Amino acid sequence: MFEDLDFEVQSGEVLQIIGDNGVGKSTLFRILAGLLEDYDGKVEIAARSCLFLGHRYGLNPRLTVLENVQFLMALQGEVPSEDTLLTALAKLGLLDETQQRCGELSEGQRKRVALTRFLLSNAELWLLDEAFSALDHHGRQTLLTLCQSHVDRGGGLVFSSHQALDPLMVDKTLRLGPA
Amino acid sequence: MSLLKRELRLLLRSPAEVVQSLLFGVLVVALFPLAITPDPDVLRQLSVGLIWVVTLLTSLLAADRSLLSDFEDGSLEQMVLGVAPLWWVCLVKSVGHWLTALLPLIVITPLLGIMLAMTSETMLWLMASLLVGTPVLSLFCVLGAMMTLGLNRGGALLLVILMPFLVPPLVLGTQWAMTVGQPFYGYLLAGLLCVSLMTLPFATASVARIAVGR
Repeated sequence: MFEDLDFEVQSGEVLQIIGDNGVGKSTLFRILAGLLEDYDGKVEIAARSCLFLGHRYGLNPRLTVLENVQFLMALQGEVPSEDTLLTALAKLGLLDETQQRCGELSEGQRKRVALTRFLLSNAELWLLDEAFSALDHHGRQTLLTLCQSHVDRGGGLVFSSHQALDPLMVDKTLRLGPA
Repeated sequence: MSLLKRELRLLLRSPAEVVQSLLFGVLVVALFPLAITPDPDVLRQLSVGLIWVVTLLTSLLAADRSLLSDFEDGSLEQMVLGVAPLWWVCLVKSVGHWLTALLPLIVITPLLGIMLAMTSETMLWLMASLLVGTPVLSLFCVLGAMMTLGLNRGGALLLVILMPFLVPPLVLGTQWAMTVGQPFYGYLLAGLLCVSLMTLPFATASVARIAVGR
């Protein structure tokens, strides 16, 4: 799918991966996250912890927003209090939906639910595949703010998008696809 | 613990799945005397085997139920990436399978036994054999379901993969109950359960890493 890729992301750096559909952005993300092991090459991640958000958000449609976030946080080994969770959900505009089942939410809302754990987690590296898809203007702005504060704290960020973002925010860009 | 809590929560949210398992068991046992013979002596002879076969088929029917949903919504990916050991996740998924598909059937076994004119002594040993043997079925079912996740016509493949592994608990379980507690079969079945508990969650975890890469 792709070859001769060589890049690194330091603490506090943002790497944007861009490319058309089918060029392998998601495959690259899955390799970075450790979900795909069938590849030639070497991936070294020095970060102590890493968060990955792919096309599937990991939300069970039969569980409520709060239950899903609690579970995803527990998978990361973190157990925030319910108040902390509610505050985070409020920041993402989901306070009225906390008791709603995820299967009843729109795509954009579900994406925001999935992003809640990024707000709460102390993970050093964030991997966001198609980070801004399905989000409305407000959601997009919220995510940008979230990413900015993560980077300001010294976290690393790798995200993919179909389009290039504000160059002021991005430190490096990796373009996948035909040369 | 949060994973177990989630499995139980999902179980309570989907009573239809439990009812489906129960209905299947009750229907087969109710139809059997109509199709073969209502003679209590014949039914008594066949009852243990019939209930074990129904239990085995029920476990197969529910094999990929919860895993498929976890695979499709991405929860499985997050479980693989999570800090909890993956073998523990797989063990809990097996417990979830057992609770939703097999425990309800074990609970109504006395009723099925009465429908098949079973003696109370045989019924007790049947319950014991099901309690010891069915966790083995669940452990194998989750392993098989993990192997076929994301594959086309995975259901058919699942049957082919699993059937040889489900025969030993079936044979040992029925023999233990039919011989009214012959210790030999009981020890073998308990041994099989121990070996399965010690090995299958780890095997399932290895397969899960491959499954999420599909």
